[in-house]
Amino acid sequence: MLRVANASRSYGDETVLRNLSIEVGSGEVVAVIGPSGVGKTTLLRLLALSLEPDEGTVALDGTDAWAVDAAERRALRRRVGMVFQEASLFDASVARNVEYGLRVRRSWRDRLHDEVAGLVRSNGVADAVHEALDVVGLTQKVVQQADSLSGGEAQRVSFARALAYEPDVLLLDEPTSDLDPRNTAVIEDAIGEARDRGIGVVAATHDMHQAERVADRVAVLLDDGITEIGPTERIFEDPSDERTRKFISGELVY
Amino acid sequence: MPVDSAVQLVPALLDLPFREGYVRSIIVVSLYVSVLAVTLSTLVSVPVAVLLGFADFPGKRFVKSVINTGMGFPSVVVGLVVLFAVSNQGPLGSLNLIFTKEAMIMSQFVLATPPITAISLAAITGVDDGVRDAARVLGGTRLDVALVVLKEARYGIATAILAGFGRAISEVGSVLIVGGNITSADGISKTRTLTTAIQLEARQGQYQTAMVLGAVLVALVLTVNAVVVRFGDRGVQS
Repeated sequence: MLRVANASRSYGDETVLRNLSIEVGSGEVVAVIGPSGVGKTTLLRLLALSLEPDEGTVALDGTDAWAVDAAERRALRRRVGMVFQEASLFDASVARNVEYGLRVRRSWRDRLHDEVAGLVRSNGVADAVHEALDVVGLTQKVVQQADSLSGGEAQRVSFARALAYEPDVLLLDEPTSDLDPRNTAVIEDAIGEARDRGIGVVAATHDMHQAERVADRVAVLLDDGITEIGPTERIFEDPSDERTRKFISGELVY
Repeated sequence: MPVDSAVQLVPALLDLPFREGYVRSIIVVSLYVSVLAVTLSTLVSVPVAVLLGFADFPGKRFVKSVINTGMGFPSVVVGLVVLFAVSNQGPLGSLNLIFTKEAMIMSQFVLATPPITAISLAAITGVDDGVRDAARVLGGTRLDVALVVLKEARYGIATAILAGFGRAISEVGSVLIVGGNITSADGISKTRTLTTAIQLEARQGQYQTAMVLGAVLVALVLTVNAVVVRFGDRGVQS
């Protein structure tokens, strides 16, 4: 379980997140909804253990990530995956992209051995890579260059790249905001597949319908805090917080 | 017609006014000095560019402006400084490097390093931040992230090395000063390069020889460019 407790974070004089708590368990999808610029990305970076909170804690399975040394923190960080709004694929084949997370987890000796072996064996793509590409329906693109993919395909490969090393938690930052409905549907199915595999998913999105479709729980992030968090159906049908109700009904305009 | 004139040129080329082995020895010296200088320069420049591209430290702007200034540094001044360094009274005087290929390599190293560093740095800082972030969140260490960025910047770095090689192989002033444009008694080059030979032949009125050497120099530069572009080509990527 990945848990942020009472965390605050400022940039200079501007407080982006104040006294915020959220958690995600295994096999659970939590959507974070809120308008642009409200701090969703900052929250995801806290969850990704790449940004230290000014106050509060971020803990994975009870280990406070900022109370341990850098090596241990990296080990914790390696159990968390992240997909950005932009695919940001490496300039290499789809297979090389998807296997990246697996590759950097191996020893230099093994990696060197793999490289040399790869020169004599042709395209021996690991099962994990194939499986991850299967989830996003792109196994046929495995040998293609990343820059030959369409935007939607690139984002699907980016998702597979984060899925390949089986993280405990997967963080998604507006993963479908640039995609057409077909590619969006593939990503949403893949989120479901990740949940079925026991991966905890946190998806930041400004698309409330998407949150309704994929999430078990929804957190509503307005201004500098979470106004409400709870089961998806209840949040959308019977929000207890007045500002949440206004935001969901579209009365609260940003 | 081009074909006819080419045929007419063949006897002229066969009857060149220099002895056998002369041109070949000049090419060998030119390549030896430039390739070695650029190789050493690359080994220094690329890590420096990576460091400058990744690390923040006080004085970074100053280091960058020194490198940028170095790109336009007058080569004869570099030659002069290296000459002083390797002369008998200089700090490296005991090594007896004056008028040797090694002294020429030193001056070309000094000339090639700033452009290779500056262009590599531009290529490295030009890599999309998203790619760095992706490598980091996928579990890469700092070294892994640096390797990803280097790979993304490979075409720019290849361009940097080519620019450095271009500066080294076409250099006249400094290699003339520190190398001395020397041939042995049998006319075989010791420190004579294509550029210093062209300068000498032209001054002596041997325009035909100078033209042939000039054509060889251009052909060499084009060949090296073609080879580097071929290696950097997408066709040989994994």
